Amino acid sequence: MSEKQAANGKEFDPTDAFREMRDTYLDAWAKSMVDTVNTDAYAKASGMMLNNYLSASSPFREAVEKVMLQALQQFSMPSRADVVSIAERTVNIEVRLDDMDAKLDRIEKSLASPRPASRTRSAARPAARPAARRSRKKGAK
Amino acid sequence: MYEAAVVTDQLLGVGEKFTDFTKAVTTKASIAQTPKELIWTLNKAKLYRYIPLLPKEERHPVPLLLVFALMNRPYILDLKPGHSFVEFMVKSGYDLYLLDWGTPGPEDKHLKFDDYALDYLPRAIRKLKVVSGSEEFSMLGWCIGAIITTIYAALRPDDGLRNLVLLTAPLDFSNKDGITFSRWVDERYFDVDKVLAAFGNMPGEMIDYGAKALKPVENYVGNYLKLWDNLDNPQVVDAWQAMNTWVTDNVPLAGGAFRQLVVDLYRNDRLMRGEWIIRGERVDLGRISAKLLTVIAEGDHITPPCQSAAIMSRVSSTDKELFRIPGGHIGIMAGSGAGKRTWPHIENWLAPRSD
Repeated sequence: MSEKQAANGKEFDPTDAFREMRDTYLDAWAKSMVDTVNTDAYAKASGMMLNNYLSASSPFREAVEKVMLQALQQFSMPSRADVVSIAERTVNIEVRLDDMDAKLDRIEKSLASPRPASRTRSAARPAARPAARRSRKKGAK
Repeated sequence: MYEAAVVTDQLLGVGEKFTDFTKAVTTKASIAQTPKELIWTLNKAKLYRYIPLLPKEERHPVPLLLVFALMNRPYILDLKPGHSFVEFMVKSGYDLYLLDWGTPGPEDKHLKFDDYALDYLPRAIRKLKVVSGSEEFSMLGWCIGAIITTIYAALRPDDGLRNLVLLTAPLDFSNKDGITFSRWVDERYFDVDKVLAAFGNMPGEMIDYGAKALKPVENYVGNYLKLWDNLDNPQVVDAWQAMNTWVTDNVPLAGGAFRQLVVDLYRNDRLMRGEWIIRGERVDLGRISAKLLTVIAEGDHITPPCQSAAIMSRVSSTDKELFRIPGGHIGIMAGSGAGKRTWPHIENWLAPRSD
């Protein structure tokens, strides 16, 4: 038999039958599991497990956080809240920088675009200058 | 006698095979190889531009921005050389950009869809416009990325968005029986505030468990058996490793966004009902006027097809297409058939609309 199979270009593999059986079983198992997880009973059970875990671990977690905070204070080290606060401030600075980048891009674009007629420019300037002066005076106060 | 020798050989080979198996499972594949440059960052978000392969005059003038989900890494779009959507699109002449949301830290737990859709995305788009020199652009959103792009398209319809491609977009949450996640996060069973009080952000491992538990036998057993059966096939092993590298690279979901996902979408279906308020503005899908391609994976367990079809009748776009394709949530874009079916369809749809 194996010689015949070898002649057909396929080696005899005694595990082929096992594999077929295994795949058939897995298909059936997979279908039944998909049905199982899509039930209210499964949702209820998994929700309950998660809830119990969170309730049970909460006092322990809070205790660890408290001890850690005290230890960091003792060693004059920044706490998680301090680091978070610094990170938030850094993001605010990044936002400001991005705003400035946007303004610079707009300026660059307006400089690169064809200039309007000189009459229009000279007409626009007087309106802009007093405003600039006003803001400088305001800043000086 | 001959068969007994074969059996003995096979038994002896099992140890060696097991070593190969362990190596394949634990080795990280080289992924995201397509050359790119970083052009913008904000907090953890990064905008990349892929280095074009074609000269400017041969490229499509309208650039394309890829927006992936918040809770997985976006390099699934650039899995490995020879099997990469990014590589395919760059070769097809697109000026291609990818927005990587990054990994949120404890300081980002307050981030919501409001921030992603109305702060991060518009800022990234502004930079894209400057770098590409085009006022118009196309956007492709996948999964949660499709929610963000939809919000943006509805709230900023005049911002230059010409084409919108939505892949497996979870937008309609009305069919509670057809969406397993809706059942799991039902308020009777799942206390979202308690979870977020404990973790701040939704841990990536829990999201990964949730996604895998939808098809537990395939993900926890069948997936590894497939590798075991094909250990002598380097192509299958390479593809498996690349996918496994991506699957095991989990990202937490910012607490604020996770809460909105559960409360506003899965429980109350506020987007489709037209009741979702993002930073004081109601998300009205009727304001979406961009050309629209919606891709639905017919075998999708994560975003069942019933979640993506309804948008077609809500938008005011006149040029729109619904494309259904056999396959799963990830398989349609990263599976072995993606390069023959999904990618060419998206490219064929986008090409005439990007000139």
